[in-house]
Amino acid sequence: MTTPSDDDLEPPVDPLEPEYVELVRPYVITNGRDVSDTSRFELITLVTAADDTQRKAHLDPEKRELVTLCEGGYLSVAEIAGHLKLPVGIVKVLLVDLVENGLILTRRPIPPAQLADIQVLQEVLDGLQARFG
Amino acid sequence: MTDYLQDPALWGLVVGTPLAAATIYRARKSNVKLRKERAELETRHHELESNFSEAVDDARLRAEEATKTALKSAMRTLQGLANEQQLAISKIQDKYGDQGILQDLLGIDHMNSQFGRRAQSVAVLCDGWLGRARSVASVYDVARSAKGRIRHYTRVEIRSQTNFAIISQAVEPVALVLAELLDNATSYSSPEAAIEINIRTVPKGVCVIIDDAGVGMNEEEKTRAQRLLSGENPVGVTELGNPPQFGFAVIGVLAARYGFSVSVDSSSPYGGVRAVVLLPQELLTSMPEPQEPTESEYLADEEVEATGTTAGGLPKRRRRGAIAIVPTGDSANSAAGRSSEETASIMGAFQRGTQSGRTQSGRSTEPSREGHDVQ
Repeated sequence: MTTPSDDDLEPPVDPLEPEYVELVRPYVITNGRDVSDTSRFELITLVTAADDTQRKAHLDPEKRELVTLCEGGYLSVAEIAGHLKLPVGIVKVLLVDLVENGLILTRRPIPPAQLADIQVLQEVLDGLQARFG
Repeated sequence: MTDYLQDPALWGLVVGTPLAAATIYRARKSNVKLRKERAELETRHHELESNFSEAVDDARLRAEEATKTALKSAMRTLQGLANEQQLAISKIQDKYGDQGILQDLLGIDHMNSQFGRRAQSVAVLCDGWLGRARSVASVYDVARSAKGRIRHYTRVEIRSQTNFAIISQAVEPVALVLAELLDNATSYSSPEAAIEINIRTVPKGVCVIIDDAGVGMNEEEKTRAQRLLSGENPVGVTELGNPPQFGFAVIGVLAARYGFSVSVDSSSPYGGVRAVVLLPQELLTSMPEPQEPTESEYLADEEVEATGTTAGGLPKRRRRGAIAIVPTGDSANSAAGRSSEETASIMGAFQRGTQSGRTQSGRSTEPSREGHDVQ
């Protein structure tokens, strides 16, 4: 059942071959930076491109693509990772750089605790207890 | 007079002279014969000598060929495994991209890239497999890919970008050559010193310039390097020395085969070696404008929709090719970059492969694959 390997010639390339190893590996894109120190970004952190995107021409292709992607409005970190087909951790490192350079603005998702004021809830509870308790 | 007749000396002379003459004549004759024989022996000796050296050369060549064949086959297996592993690592990186393990995975990815490159270098010297076909890639991306294949990659700084791209067939060879040059540059300079890459457009094509701040090379080393880099007398695997020095030999072979030039005879402004790779126009093509992705992004989105959704209702993601800037027509790109002769040779190889697979009976003299010898 073994298929003979014709080593003298390059094997036929299957044009439908779905899997392809990327030419530029993720660790090169981040230049070996520590990807664990990116806690300020969460999967649902929303980011958008700053108005001043003239400088993006000098960026790495991935960063340029990221800024271009965000020019239309707010995107979450998870969505960006999906579009760029890069691991989320790598996208976060790129975002840290871009935020430092002022090319990307972030908007933290509204924390659930802020939706309802705990003090108001407490007062309601106190009122209910005073009336019925 | 009669006195003389009675003199025995005269008689001696009378008898002796012809005798002596005869002896001298005979001696001359044998001398000529001997000389002839000697000349014959000499030619015979030369013949034997040249036959012998021919036989030695022949044996050396055969040994070299045998070594090459064995190594090529072994490297092909290793290269296949390295590729497989890289794919597996990519998948895990995507899967655990948001977790702490990603840092370790990147480290493993880096080691695997170095491992793959080493196997590739040996394969090149054995006229073996260079790796998978790549799509057209920018010079910048090829330089970055090369950077990722050496141990101390963080010391390498790529200073400039161009709009030029390298044609698909030359992507892997150029990346390998740059990686070997960068490996040399990092090995022969201090551990903190940065290596600088500049990409410059020149009338003849594009120059990739690698400057290190190392110790440089002396005249002897430069001569050796230049001889190897010219690729005129390719070095056999048995002549690499101990420890073997692959770098320049590999570069020489690739530069000669793909038609670009590499020189290391100038010194860098930082005191080390300046290596210059000149890529001619034939290996270059233009890159789409960087502003274009906005449009292609929409195309990509449409494609994602076209490929359907998963059971959980999430859009199915397509794996991208080597360059992300134009996600559409990746395979079409590589097909267009192939000449008709190349297509013919690929089809030929495929045909030969299937044929030999069919005709291969239970007994075969050649192992089908390294490590799986058919007895």
